[in-house]
Amino acid sequence: MALDQTILIATGTALLFTGIASISVSKNLLKSIMSFQVAVFGANLALFASGMGYSPRLLSDAFVVLSVLVGASVEAVGLAIIVVVYRKYGTLNPDEIRRLRR
Amino acid sequence: MESELVALLISGALFVTVATSLLASKVSYSLISLFYASIVLGVAFTVYGDGLLGLLTMITFAGAISVLLLSVVLITGESKIGLGARELALGAIPLAAAIGGISLVAVFSGKAGGLATSDSSQAVLSFLWTLRPWDLLILIVVFAGSMVAIVSLLGREN
Repeated sequence: MALDQTILIATGTALLFTGIASISVSKNLLKSIMSFQVAVFGANLALFASGMGYSPRLLSDAFVVLSVLVGASVEAVGLAIIVVVYRKYGTLNPDEIRRLRR
Repeated sequence: MESELVALLISGALFVTVATSLLASKVSYSLISLFYASIVLGVAFTVYGDGLLGLLTMITFAGAISVLLLSVVLITGESKIGLGARELALGAIPLAAAIGGISLVAVFSGKAGGLATSDSSQAVLSFLWTLRPWDLLILIVVFAGSMVAIVSLLGREN
């Protein structure tokens, strides 16, 4: 495995776990969506780097395209849900929303 | 050696933009940093020979998703940028210096605007030198215009 491939895979993995950790500790739903986007970035980078050694890297490219489209769709739906939640509860703090639901 | 250096630079840029995005106190700063992270990821794909994937990433994340995020930030009124003239100047001067330096290097090195030779086409950054200076200028103007629009929208008072 080439050194640049290793660097990119390590970066992608670090971004993926950073995004997941940030989702779990975030106190703002918008920040959670942004953290999800960071996780998607990491997954895309790691998938892309995993196919760097092969000459027609069709499989990794197909996975990255699939990941980009699914990630963008999930984010769009999440943002729509955020707008609905904000109109209903007037806040984007998950703890506050949980308290107001009771 | 060049490809390892490029990989390190891309990783560093990604880490800086992502860390700024996740640690910023205001959502609008996170949004702008995430926009830069999308651009860096697209550039990474392009540098490593997959221009279509880079274009798809930039169009999807830096284009569509950033506009969606901006719309939600504006709808919810979650954050506002209080940019004064001093902060704007502090941000614009390093950016202008960097763009000016890169443009001068590109123009005076004689690489920009020329056709890629067989040697340079093998290099990782060869795609950059196949752009003409006017193409670069148009890209920079469009990019700067979009950034000014975002700052103007986020700085608007209710």
